[in-house]
Amino acid sequence: MNGCSFNVKKNAITALIGPNGAGKSTIFNLISGIIKEDAGKIIFNGKDITHTSPEQISNLGISRLFQQTRLFGNLTVKENLLLAVNNEDTRFWKNLFSINKTTREEEKIKEMLKLVEMEEFENKLARELSFGQKRLIELARTILNPHSFLILDEPVAGISPKLRKKIAGILLNLKKSDATILLIEHDMNFTLSVSDSILVLEKGEVIARGTPEEIRNSPKVLEAYLGGQTKS
Amino acid sequence: MLILLGIYFILAISLQLAVGFAGLLNLGHIAFYAIGAYASALLALAGWPWWLCFLLAGVVAMIFGFLLSLPTNKLKGDYLALATLGFSFVVYVVALNWKGLTNGSLGLPGIPKPIFFGFIFSDNFNFLLLTFFVAFISYFIIRKITSSPFGKALEATRDDELATRILGKSTFKIKSIALMLSAFFAGLAGSLYAHYITFIDPSSFTLTQLIPIITIIIIGGLASLKGTIIATIILVLLPESLSFVGFPSSIVGPARQIIYSLILLWILIYKPRGFYGKVELE
Amino acid sequence: MDIFLQLLINSLIAGATYALVAIGFSLIYSTCRFIPFAHGGVLVFAAYALYFLFSILNLNFGLSVILAVIFAVFLGWLLNVAVYKQLRKRKASSAILLIASFALLVLLESFILLLFGAGAKTFDFIKVAKGLEFFGAIITPLQVFIIIFSIFLLWLLFFFMKKTKIGKAMRAVADNRDAAEIVGISSEKIYMWSFVIGSAIAGVAAVLIGLDRNLEPTMGTSLMIKGFTGAIIGGIGSVPGAILGSFLLGLVENFGIWFLPSGYKDAVAFLILFVFLLFKPQGILGIKKNC
Repeated sequence: MNGCSFNVKKNAITALIGPNGAGKSTIFNLISGIIKEDAGKIIFNGKDITHTSPEQISNLGISRLFQQTRLFGNLTVKENLLLAVNNEDTRFWKNLFSINKTTREEEKIKEMLKLVEMEEFENKLARELSFGQKRLIELARTILNPHSFLILDEPVAGISPKLRKKIAGILLNLKKSDATILLIEHDMNFTLSVSDSILVLEKGEVIARGTPEEIRNSPKVLEAYLGGQTKS
Repeated sequence: MLILLGIYFILAISLQLAVGFAGLLNLGHIAFYAIGAYASALLALAGWPWWLCFLLAGVVAMIFGFLLSLPTNKLKGDYLALATLGFSFVVYVVALNWKGLTNGSLGLPGIPKPIFFGFIFSDNFNFLLLTFFVAFISYFIIRKITSSPFGKALEATRDDELATRILGKSTFKIKSIALMLSAFFAGLAGSLYAHYITFIDPSSFTLTQLIPIITIIIIGGLASLKGTIIATIILVLLPESLSFVGFPSSIVGPARQIIYSLILLWILIYKPRGFYGKVELE
Repeated sequence: MDIFLQLLINSLIAGATYALVAIGFSLIYSTCRFIPFAHGGVLVFAAYALYFLFSILNLNFGLSVILAVIFAVFLGWLLNVAVYKQLRKRKASSAILLIASFALLVLLESFILLLFGAGAKTFDFIKVAKGLEFFGAIITPLQVFIIIFSIFLLWLLFFFMKKTKIGKAMRAVADNRDAAEIVGISSEKIYMWSFVIGSAIAGVAAVLIGLDRNLEPTMGTSLMIKGFTGAIIGGIGSVPGAILGSFLLGLVENFGIWFLPSGYKDAVAFLILFVFLLFKPQGILGIKKNC
């Protein structure tokens, strides 16, 4: 990163775009607490979260979707989603004496599966899903994880156009329910259609920021994206 | 014979929890066994009631399980194996050299048989019932916890620790608990062993004693409790036939290890998932 | 001063001994990327082979030594072909290879136990040597030889790795296997050479160590533990690091027993291993590649 500094607006969808290697995933890893900062600060809801562990950051309300699929292949879709809903599963004694009834959580999961139209996959092993299905479930998992801030790394990469529309719809609905979303995407159509504001990154620094209209017409951005996608 | 089968089962199922479910390649499992055995023996020889010695054996081993989980939290695969192997080795060396505590290579003879509410488990049949009871309890507890949401969180930690942390869970806590539980049961097994044989010395707790246990959990299949049960029965009864044929113990000992290592090698090459396994090593 | 010098000399002897083990181990690890526990098994097998040839069959000593080393090489080669190669063919992880190697170590040790029994054996070749006096410290000529030889071996290996075709190929595979394969280096061939050379070193180590100490079936395990501790301290995958680490280990062990009873020497090795695994897993010189 190179003197990169920006704010993310609450209850809005912000997109982070830029050529490969610009540092977008790095920023996400910094926010998630996966890599350590050498300098600088990250402030969330007024709190400095610069040197916090990934699990603490998640519990503060930041939910992350990775670029690579990170579903638990050996677990079923339902089990994958259950892991996200709450952290009662780390309470040993409660689980040993089966006081951990998961009926309410299971309802939430059923709702989510209905939303992404994958109800029949509830008891399928995650590794048996197709790529698109996996991404959808992973997005579902990210959303089920209690959050006030969603950071999504390429949520629609490799997804069919029909599904992309659906995911765009889900994100816009989330925004209506007061979510704050920061996403990285290379699909310009998708990005321009859902975002309220766009940040353009190149070589570790922000070179442009503005509304989709402003960015679409910015010469600086086109230059940075030489040979990049404009329509896909 | 069958009593040893029970003891091996407890060792195997507790190691299965750590390796198969938590993904912790703990090659130091025998150390927990040794700690439990020595703790129980020393307390019993000092006159403490058996049931207390038995439980404390598990607790002391569990404490060491926790202590081991601290430095090994960030270690992966190979390095974790090395570190835990080292732990096992250190425990062995201490047992051999801290003569004041363990009587070194001379061992601790005369460990009393278990007495519970005035009932002495003096003959083999009683002891067998006791062992099977403990084995059943340990199976039951481990099965309960692995099929619960905690068990899923454990498996998630095994498969992708970062993804699990991103969901807000402390994988250190999860792994630590798994290791502690694993150590607890190994400690109980150690206590049973000590009070069965009534004599222990460091030679029962060398690194090589791990081979039968590892073979069992791999043949049965990682993360499979059913597999562990079946594999324990087959693998423990198999070499007992050797002693039946009347070979002296100086031959039976190494011969058993040779058979186990060969079986382990065979399984690793031809069927690394074992018969009922869900996952492979690493 | 006397004690200090003696401890220093003991450190050098121990360090050189461990270095002999660590070098072979490190060589194999650097190319094959797994912990070859069985290396200790090859060592003890070679030592007992020498015993068998020399003390039981009463062959000429020189001939016995040569045969023992050849036997070590053959055994290392066999383990590679019969076990490791089969596992690699099936895309086994380094954890599986590690367990397999551990199983092999136990297998080999058990064979020795079976064939030779648990009692310690000695060679009658070098008479109970009168130690040379060196400013008040004692060292036997054999031990001097061990120290000099381990340094010579380092030099030899250095030359081999830098100048010969195979040596360079081995370094390439150690550095980046896929890139090496692309330029035409057969990694299977390199693995084989690693085992051959590593086992030859183990064979020589077995002879020297066997002459200096008693033979026991479990010596493979304890030497292996010291060996990979030395290798990790110095930097796993780095052969010069293995030597540096081994000498450091020798130092800490021997000066450590100023404070601890000598039986705990072995535990010291592992405590150091622990410390390094925790804080500096790349060791002092190591270039680490995370498996």
